[in-house]
Order: sequence, then C-alpha cells, then structure tokens
Amino acid sequence: MNRKRSLLQNMLLTLAIVAVLFFCLFPFVQILSTSLKHQFDWGNPSLIPVKINLNAYKELLGFVQATEEQIPATVKKLLENPLITPEQREKILAKYRSTSDVFPFPRFFLNTFLLSASAASVSLALAVLGAYAFSRLRFGGRTIIQRSILFVYMVGGVLLMVPLYQMSVKVGLARTVWGSLLSLLLIYIIQTLPVSLYMLGNYFRTIPYSIEEAATTDGCSRLQSIFVIIIPLSVPMLVTVFVYCFIIAWNEFLFASVFLKQYHMFHTLPLALQSLFVSKNAIWDRIMAASMLTLIPVIVCFMFAMRNLSGGLAEGGVKE
Amino acid sequence: MASVRFKNVDKWFGKTQVLHDINLDIKESEFVVLVGPSGCGKSTTLRLLAGLEDISAGDIYINDKIVNLLEPQHRNIAMVFQNYALYPHKNVQENIIFGLKRAKASRDLIESRLDKASKMLQLQEFLQRKPAQLSGGQRQRVAMGRAIVRDADVFLFDEPLSNLDAKLRNQMRYEIRRIHREYQTTSVYVTHDQVEAMTLGDRVVVMKDGYIEQVGTPMELYLQPKNIFVATFIGAPSMNILDATLYPEYIELEGQKLPLATNLVKTSVPSDGQKVKFGIRPDFFQDEQLISAGEALTTLPNVHIDIIEPLGYDRELNLKLGHQTLKARLDLRSTAREGDTINLCFDMRRAHIFDIETEKNLTI
Repeated sequence: MNRKRSLLQNMLLTLAIVAVLFFCLFPFVQILSTSLKHQFDWGNPSLIPVKINLNAYKELLGFVQATEEQIPATVKKLLENPLITPEQREKILAKYRSTSDVFPFPRFFLNTFLLSASAASVSLALAVLGAYAFSRLRFGGRTIIQRSILFVYMVGGVLLMVPLYQMSVKVGLARTVWGSLLSLLLIYIIQTLPVSLYMLGNYFRTIPYSIEEAATTDGCSRLQSIFVIIIPLSVPMLVTVFVYCFIIAWNEFLFASVFLKQYHMFHTLPLALQSLFVSKNAIWDRIMAASMLTLIPVIVCFMFAMRNLSGGLAEGGVKE
Repeated sequence: MASVRFKNVDKWFGKTQVLHDINLDIKESEFVVLVGPSGCGKSTTLRLLAGLEDISAGDIYINDKIVNLLEPQHRNIAMVFQNYALYPHKNVQENIIFGLKRAKASRDLIESRLDKASKMLQLQEFLQRKPAQLSGGQRQRVAMGRAIVRDADVFLFDEPLSNLDAKLRNQMRYEIRRIHREYQTTSVYVTHDQVEAMTLGDRVVVMKDGYIEQVGTPMELYLQPKNIFVATFIGAPSMNILDATLYPEYIELEGQKLPLATNLVKTSVPSDGQKVKFGIRPDFFQDEQLISAGEALTTLPNVHIDIIEPLGYDRELNLKLGHQTLKARLDLRSTAREGDTINLCFDMRRAHIFDIETEKNLTI
C-alpha cells in the first residue's frame, strides 16, 4: 500500500525537482540572456540585460547588413606606416569588416536543415520497411539480423570515424563536396536506423495483425496494407522517429567536422558554431544568438512530436 | 456464389501437424459450420481457405479452381473476424466501403451497396463514427457490413459472435441467418458454440484434434452421432454416456435389463456380454407419471434424484444410477423432488450403443 508523503517529504521532493530543472534549464537561459546583451553588459552576472540588444539576431538572420566597424584613429595611423606590407594591411582591415561572409547563418542553417531532413526522411522510409519485416515476416536469421543492427548503435562514432572516412576516400566519395555530403548523409542514416527500426518495430507489433489480414481479404497486397493501414496507424511513432533522426543529424558534429572541414560553405551549424567560437569573430552576443537560433528547430520538432504523441490510433479496431 | 472443396488438406506448424487429411465439399449457397473445441483446427481450416495460412499438402478449390497459391486478395472472399478487425482510423462508412474502393467500384455501386447494407444492419446513424465510438454489437455489425457489400464468392466467419453477450449473440445470429437468406452466398462459419452450429448451419462439420469427426445436417449430428465425441459435443446438456453390458436381446445397465429396440440389434456386433457405452440424451427422458397410455417406452426405474435445476422452460435433473451419474430434462409438470427416486421413460430407438475401445457408434 502506498503511504502518503509528509509535508517535509513533499517540500524536499519539490526542491529536488526545482534543482534538477534549474540545472537543465540554466544554460539555455544563460544563452538567451547573453545573446540579448550589449557588449558593456557581458560582465554583468544578472540574467536580465540592462538594455535589450537584438543586433546579433538581426545580423544573423540578414535583416540588417553588418555595420562596418569604425577603424580607430590609432589603427588608421598604423596602416599609414609604409613599413607595413599589403598582406599585413589586409589582415588588419579584415578585423573591421562585415562578418556576414565569415558566418552566413542562413546558408549554414539551410545546409543543416537539408542534410538533417534528408537523413531523417530516408532513415524513416527504410525503417518503416525494415521494421515491418522484423515485426511481421517470418524468415531465417531474423533475430540475428535484428540484434546485429542494434549492435551497430552500441559502437561509438569515434571508433568508426577513421574507417568510415578511409572507406569514403577509397571509393572516391571524399574527393568532392557532393561525395562528402553523400557520405555524411549515409552515415547519419546508418547512425539513426538501428533505433528507428527498434522503435518502429516495437510499435508495429502493437497493431493487431488481424487488421492487416482484414485488409488483405478486402483486396490489399502486403505493400498496400503497409501504406493504407500500418502507416496511418503509426503516425505518432513515425513523427517521433523522424524528430529523433532529425535532431541526431542536426546536432551531429564529429563526422561533419571530418567530412566537411575543407568545404566552408557546406558547413553545418554545429561545425560553423565551433568555427565561430574559435575565430576572430568570436563575439559573445553573436555566438549565443547563433546557438539560440540553432536550438529553435530542435524545440519546434519536440513541440510537434509532443502534439502528435497522443497515441491510441489503433484503439477500437479490435476487441482486446 | 461458389463451391468450395478441400482435398486431402494437411497443415503443419513446424513439427506439429494441426490438420490431418481434410476432405470437405461445400456446395454453392450452402452455409457450413465448422465446430469443435479449442485447438481442433477449425480456425486454421478457415484461414487456409482465406489464404491467410499456406497449406502443407493437398488442394483447396474455389469454383473448381485450385487456389493454393493465390494471395487472399485474389480469392474474392470476404471475412468477418472474431475481434472485428475494423480499421480504427476510418469511420464506419469508410470501413464498409473499403473493399469496394480497392476493387475500384463505381461511385453509384458503392453508394447503393452502402445504403442497402447500412439499412439492413441498422447502421445509418453511425456511418460517420469511428470504431472506438461504437459498442461491441455495432462494431460486429460494421464488420458484417464490410463483408456483405462486396460481391464475394465466399463469406468466411471466424467466431464472429464469441465476443458478444448472450442477448446480442442471439440477435446477431438472427441477423446472420437473414443475411444468408438474402444474399445466398456460400458461407463457412467457425464456432465453438454448438448452439450456433445447430441453428445456423445447413451442414455442420465437427472437428477434433485436426480431424473431421463427422459432417452432416444439424439433426443428423444430433440424432445419429458417429462417435462419443460428436454425441457429447452436440446438444446441451450433452448426451448421457453410461457403462453397460450388451446381450443379444437386451442391454444391462446397473443390473437392470432393458430390451433392445430392433434398430439397435446389429448382427455385426458381438453381443454376448460385451462391455459397451450406452448413450441417451437428457431431452429424451420423460417422467413415468406424465406418460399417456399406449406409448411404447422403456422404463428405467428407481433413479435417485440428486439435484434439480429449474431453468424456467423445463427442469434439469441430476441423477444417480448406481455409481453412475446422468442428466434428464423433464417437463415442467413433473413433480419430482430432490432426494426422491423417479421412474424415467424413454424411447429405446433414440438410444445409442458405442464401442468401449473405438468409441464408435455401433448402431448406425
């Protein structure tokens, strides 16, 4: 029998929950706060900016042209020095130029979005067919194949990075930018497929087989019954799996850093953010605004998934 | 409408044989019921006919055409499942017309069939509802509607009423009977309920352990069961099976010598003190006090009444005859009371004698 909690226990539990929530959410609040602060405000420990600064967001989203930094008088004097070579002068001037070409956020966003959406779509399509086979068809070696695929998921990405890169070099994919992107796409699909298969397979098993049998006696082939019965009944799980794959690809840094390092304009956001961190353009409000904007699709995906996770679509079809 | 034929059909699941040499001919428009206890292979037989399972040996014909390798969608059958198997994401109307749409039927045809079926099954007001918003009986009617709108050669019913309560079951039994009379489609119906089998079937197939025990009309099975299994499976309460000894002119039952009727005397049966089983249905007993003069009946005297169960329309007596128990279903007018003894009368021509080893009926 469950014992009722005392007031003290309730307070401790609430405190623990608040502590965990604070620990999880504080970094995000810090990112948001810093992204909205002016330079003079960065040292201020308060999370609320003295004055809201939206310049970084406007600049990243291309609403305003980044303003040319004013060159201080001392620097101008320095540039007039005849001993300075043209290369050195160029380097000094670059510091005061627009940064939009250094961090073209919309471009990186689009790269990441296309790569993540493609990987998630292909992974989902393959997972639907694969999971259906695992959950419905009887064939030799089914269990071994199923376990082997899950085994792939257990091997860390770092271990596979070198062999995978070697493979893609050997088959000639790494030579071109499109080949590199294709390699990355394949890696994301392979990375997300095991869990997608596992999640979808388990979900398909909850759909009564007799509904499919009814569809076949009503004139559907097996493939048709997948599209007409299984997929419509699995929408919540399909959305979840898509979001899972999308987020994995969206946040992936390791493989992108290996395959796309030399192709600056094809960088994905995690890679671009990392580059921004270590570049001479590492300005806090811009870094944090870029991080915040990178988070938005993930949050949107989660909200979308939550809306669709109502479940129970297969209810009422059969007598339990 | 189509004829169906099972020819030497076997079915194995791994190393287990679940159907043994099934041979069955079903005529056009016939309503055949497969009945038997759980695990007897009746549902498997139906699923083989539907194409939902592959046969291991033999042939299945629909309209004289072998369908062994045809996928279910190409057999032109319609099936009603035990658990309804409705499409939960589609409403009642979409469920009913699903098969017609797959077959690319014209809009007019779809509308007219939907209209007819929904009226017949009283589903007009539920057409826009999802299955989850329906009661069990309504869902089963939708499943039925989904089958009848199609111009199928054969209707297959896999225990369609087993999930319904007793009252609804009676009502739906009546609906199924009406649908068959209207459409005259060849139907195969699986059930474990012998009342459904008796009331619905033109012919009934009794199965046990993957074998067909007997095929016949309900009354043939009731009056002339081929063996003890069929005798006890068909009829409620089931037939009394008593230990007896057979002699040329009489049968000895707990020391009482009962003269044999002519139909029970068979020259092929060695009958000099042979141990046998004597079968008589509880329904065939009558209270001696209520017999009108002139009826040529055999009397089983001094049977002890253990328990009486009044069922409203009659009284069911649990009796003791020596060390054996038996049941009798008597007229309401009978005044017998628990603890009394009673003289039971029956027509010996309605009794059966079964071989003690093979359990076969020796009198047919």
